[in-house]
Amino acid sequence: MGLNYQAVGWNPQKKVYDRILVLGVLLYLIVFIVGGFIFFPTATIETLLIRAFGTAAMVLLHIILMIGPLCRLDTRFLPLLYNRRHMGVTMFLTALIHAFLVTMQYHAIGDANPIVSIFTANTAVDSLGGFPFQPLGFFALIILFLMAATSHDFWLRNLTPPVWKILHMGVYLAYLLLVGHVVLGVLQAETSPIPAVAMAVGIVLVVGLHIAAGYRDKVRVKERAHGTDYIDVCGVFEIPEKRARIVSMSGERVAIFKYDGKISAISNVCRHQNGPLGEGKIIDGCVTCPWHGFQYRPEDGRAPAPFEDKVPTFRVKLRGDRVMLHPIPNPPGTPVEPAVIGVDGGRR
Amino acid sequence: MKPHEDKEFYVGYTEKAPPGIAKYVRLHVILMLLAVAATSLVLVMSQRPPDPGVFEFGTYRNFEGWIVEEPFPMLRMERPGRAYQSPTHSLYTLVVFGKFSANNAVKGLNGKKVRLKGSMIYRDDQIMLEVSDDPIEVLEDPGFPKDDLFGRDLGKITLAGEIVDSKCFLGVMKPGNLKVHKACAVRCISGGIPPALVVKDKEGNARYFILVSPEGRAMNKEVLDMVAEPVRVTGKAVGYDNLTLLYTDPRDIVITR
Repeated sequence: MGLNYQAVGWNPQKKVYDRILVLGVLLYLIVFIVGGFIFFPTATIETLLIRAFGTAAMVLLHIILMIGPLCRLDTRFLPLLYNRRHMGVTMFLTALIHAFLVTMQYHAIGDANPIVSIFTANTAVDSLGGFPFQPLGFFALIILFLMAATSHDFWLRNLTPPVWKILHMGVYLAYLLLVGHVVLGVLQAETSPIPAVAMAVGIVLVVGLHIAAGYRDKVRVKERAHGTDYIDVCGVFEIPEKRARIVSMSGERVAIFKYDGKISAISNVCRHQNGPLGEGKIIDGCVTCPWHGFQYRPEDGRAPAPFEDKVPTFRVKLRGDRVMLHPIPNPPGTPVEPAVIGVDGGRR
Repeated sequence: MKPHEDKEFYVGYTEKAPPGIAKYVRLHVILMLLAVAATSLVLVMSQRPPDPGVFEFGTYRNFEGWIVEEPFPMLRMERPGRAYQSPTHSLYTLVVFGKFSANNAVKGLNGKKVRLKGSMIYRDDQIMLEVSDDPIEVLEDPGFPKDDLFGRDLGKITLAGEIVDSKCFLGVMKPGNLKVHKACAVRCISGGIPPALVVKDKEGNARYFILVSPEGRAMNKEVLDMVAEPVRVTGKAVGYDNLTLLYTDPRDIVITR
């Protein structure tokens, strides 16, 4: 959460995260380049650099794409998600170095503009085997650039969260383009099956984790049929203290929190990056998003002063020990009287 | 809710992560770093071994010989200490820095004996020189050894192979062929570097045929669409010193993919 924007809002955990990130990238590059010269003494440094940065970017992209579903499956991975944007920017810079080296090596100092050459040197679009793979990488890099350039909360606020989220879902399109870039490019020139197997393992991990996380979500959050009146969504005892139960009604997810003998319901979607508020916790009287710690008061869905973010609220009441939820959302930030739990766990 | 979720909750902007979560993440980050290093090692080891060509980048030597301008720039040099029945001369193809032939550098010097400075690029029996920017020095002309530059007619043949740009394939780039190198090969051939048909036998030994038109002119733009593809080429092969030229019509080059 921030009122004033700064390049990076450093805190101790971000510093640790970035140090490990840089260490990981350097480790990968050093092993690749030093190993390259040990195993292939006649290799050229340009080729090793191109391949080291290209494969490092792909490995990073796989890690980035796996963090989301991993966190859905086990919340103990959330520290990897918290600063994932830095990993995204690092991945873009790594891919940019790869693209720069490739363009200089294969397209520059010739009889055509290097960028134009990327699109004109190979025009066999009618053939799968000969299909030009470099433009696929070019377009993926443009998407990654847009994402890296707008990764800051300044852009999130100014583009609005829905637009920002759609833009950043572009990572899946970029991934698809990059898989094509690899499969139609370097894999066609290699004789060992190992690079192809590595690519296949990466795809299976990314797709498999997404399917597993989606399945878990579907099992955990049941869709409720509803009309325009209160509906019975769960028992009071089913909600842990200072935590929530998430219910879904016609695709709209609602987080029903129990805290200090009260029940309140707000939208499950954090205004920041659509984080699942219902997987958060009440800290200092506020619902705290598990992704980046954005906070909202459960009674009115408003962030505590001086912040101004707000989410829709929902009316709740108790019938015995059952929680009754009104399915029509109130406008964001609308105060709603919490339902008070009686000593017997039901309505007082 | 899982048991650990009840006890601990992670907030990124606090000083420290809760101990249980921190321990769990630390273990997995260490495993991830090991996996990253292992992936890097496996990927680098599984690469196709680099081609055996050599480019003496940055090392310039003086060479003396006679300039041949057509169909592409060459330097004809006497072979020292030649073996019995081996060619008396060698033809070194000439290129300049980047993806260009040496057409401009040797213009008007056809048949003249010169001294020039260049970096060697070589693979098998093929040698190329990347001519430096230094001026080419014309020497006292004792006469071009034209009389013995006769072509040896090797007959009409059909060959299967790959069209490469001779500069990269001989040693400038590794790899200097196949699809990953196609864009570069197209730029080089488009810039005047002689296109060569590389034909490999079962053991991987390469033979080189530089492609020229049926009239013996340079044929670069005409082959661009066929570069880095498996092709079958029919033409007349003629040997000159250590080089073999394949006189062919672009219509006789067929992509076999």
